[in-house]
Amino acid sequence: MVKFKSTLILSMILILIVGCFYATSLAVEPIKIGLVSPKSGNYADHGGMERVGMYLAVEDFGGEVLGRPIELVEADSETNPDIAARRAKALIETQDVMFLMGGVSSSVGIAVGSVCEEAGALFIATNENSDTITGSKAMKHMFRVPPNMAILVRGAAQYVADNLGKKWYFITHDYSWGQSGTRWARNMLDVVGAEEIGEAKVPMGTRDFSSYLLQVANSGAEVACVTVGGFDGIALYKQMNEFGIFDKMKVWWTLADYPDSYALQPEQRGRYGMMEVYWTATPELKEFSKRVYKNNPNAPVHVTETNSYHGWLGMTALLKGIEAAGTTDVDAVIKAMEGMIIADNMQPHPTYIRPWDHQFIDSMFFGQDKQVSGDDITEVLFSLPCKDYARTISENPVDLTK
Amino acid sequence: MNVSLVLALFFNGIVLGLIYAVVAVGFSLVLGVAQVINFSHGLLFAFGAYFFWSISSVAGFWIALFLSPILVAMMGLCIELLLIRRVYGQDPLFGLLITFGFALAMEEVIRMVWGKVAYSVSTPMFARGQLFIGDIIYSKYRIILAVFSLLILLLVWWVITRTSFGAIIKAGMFDSEMISALGHNLPLLRTGIFVIGAFLAGLAGVIAAPLWSIKSGMGTDILMPAFIIALIGGLGSIKGTIIAGLLVGTVTSLAVLFIPRFTDILPYLMLIVVLFYKPKGLFGEVTILGEVREE
Repeated sequence: MVKFKSTLILSMILILIVGCFYATSLAVEPIKIGLVSPKSGNYADHGGMERVGMYLAVEDFGGEVLGRPIELVEADSETNPDIAARRAKALIETQDVMFLMGGVSSSVGIAVGSVCEEAGALFIATNENSDTITGSKAMKHMFRVPPNMAILVRGAAQYVADNLGKKWYFITHDYSWGQSGTRWARNMLDVVGAEEIGEAKVPMGTRDFSSYLLQVANSGAEVACVTVGGFDGIALYKQMNEFGIFDKMKVWWTLADYPDSYALQPEQRGRYGMMEVYWTATPELKEFSKRVYKNNPNAPVHVTETNSYHGWLGMTALLKGIEAAGTTDVDAVIKAMEGMIIADNMQPHPTYIRPWDHQFIDSMFFGQDKQVSGDDITEVLFSLPCKDYARTISENPVDLTK
Repeated sequence: MNVSLVLALFFNGIVLGLIYAVVAVGFSLVLGVAQVINFSHGLLFAFGAYFFWSISSVAGFWIALFLSPILVAMMGLCIELLLIRRVYGQDPLFGLLITFGFALAMEEVIRMVWGKVAYSVSTPMFARGQLFIGDIIYSKYRIILAVFSLLILLLVWWVITRTSFGAIIKAGMFDSEMISALGHNLPLLRTGIFVIGAFLAGLAGVIAAPLWSIKSGMGTDILMPAFIIALIGGLGSIKGTIIAGLLVGTVTSLAVLFIPRFTDILPYLMLIVVLFYKPKGLFGEVTILGEVREE
């Protein structure tokens, strides 16, 4: 009997010890989030900045959610859809990462989103702007943070036609995102009373735009409507100055990124453009800019811009979603994020995550670059709420339940 | 058809062609004389641009213009002494692989030192603005660059075809053993050619810096056009390199108007056609892998 009692006590102690270890191991197991973001390729610098924002969002959560530490696992997308998809798959299959996010190229976003959809993981496109992400390629397991091209172009088109000119020449980066910028501007021609003069489609990786610019300069256009980004966009912007395009016509960038303007010398600037965020818009954004700079003094720009801001917003939304769901079950987190409102988003308008197409909706800013040194290089002419310009469900009848 | 636009694009092609030729001529010389497929040529081009950006921001345009190619030439000297010298006389693939690997490693060094972001260099004050050619507006800086490029190319052509040093270089392309037997210092000749090639690559990088934005991958971007122009023109042929540069420049410039979707692949198609009919290139006397046996 004594032997039975001691065996029982020993077994209970053993179970207790094992149970404690098991519970401890559960408690400390980190929640892994994969950052499939470019460290090389056309958008390398944009990728670096969005990751700064993501890390700051984790810092805001005290480095943990649901009492578990957050572990960020980085993978270089190389701005290449095939490589990004392979790396996303490896994160899911070998490291059990079920939450992924990153930008910047829309083609890359769609490739990673497809991998996540198939694997039942969640992907947040933090800096992709192509319509297709929340349109024809929309998926249940994919959200998109920044405004899409429909919002950005429709927000600017009337002002451009009324104030800059009605004869538009399109310069299109010849891939998904660039094409969607031009497509929306073309769709707005009749609405705003403008006309198309011509189009130049420039392949990704173009460095010399002289031949295209000679055509544009000779076209009789009043406005060059440009949807070209990354290093190519910087080269084009610079060469527009070199060829005197700003003296011949107004230049409207359908999506103007702060780092591209910042990369130029002050005397080379002159474009108008729609921005997704501008660092002086609110006191909170100015404060956030200081944090961005403090955390990454080697970043190419010293303030927050679309990449770092949307990196922060995407990560914040995900962590709030996990918190609201109370679990890391992907479907529960998706459900928690659908319809979520993030009021403390530092923007003039709160962020609303539309449940039917997974598009984040908040603010946008139209401005003109100034020829001044320092960080405040764009004059904001007006800001708009994205909700008034976003595609309606009848314009974009996506079905995420499929 | 807008005739003045066609003429403007043709003119633009000539300007681009001359700039391309400066990029390619150093590559062609090294390949023709030292028989090394120097895939670090693009890297030296990138270093030229980065040195120019760094030096011009502290010491001004002219000092940067003078110093940057010299620094790149010194880099070329180190590369030749440490790496290239070991692959002379061996299969050209060795040279290709060793310079390719070195270029990849050094591209990472560029990222470490200067970061991954793009930089923009201001055009010097005297070259800013545009000129009107008929009713076409054109960049003043590019016209100055075209003239500068032409002068460089003519100088290189004069050295190779009109001086005794050039005669030795040309002789070295065909029979390096005979050059040694005649008492010329072949290793020194090869080093000299590699350093000249590096200097020209650095100079081309300096020229490109205010034109195109500076970024870490710019060396890889320029390598293929340089390779194509060198092969079309014929290895070691200055005349061939200039003509091939002009051909590639004008065809790609005009293609933007007529067949814009094919702009990128046209240089490759031109290379295929030229090599099919003339394996030594338009004006070359040797091929990339040695003598062509005509049977």
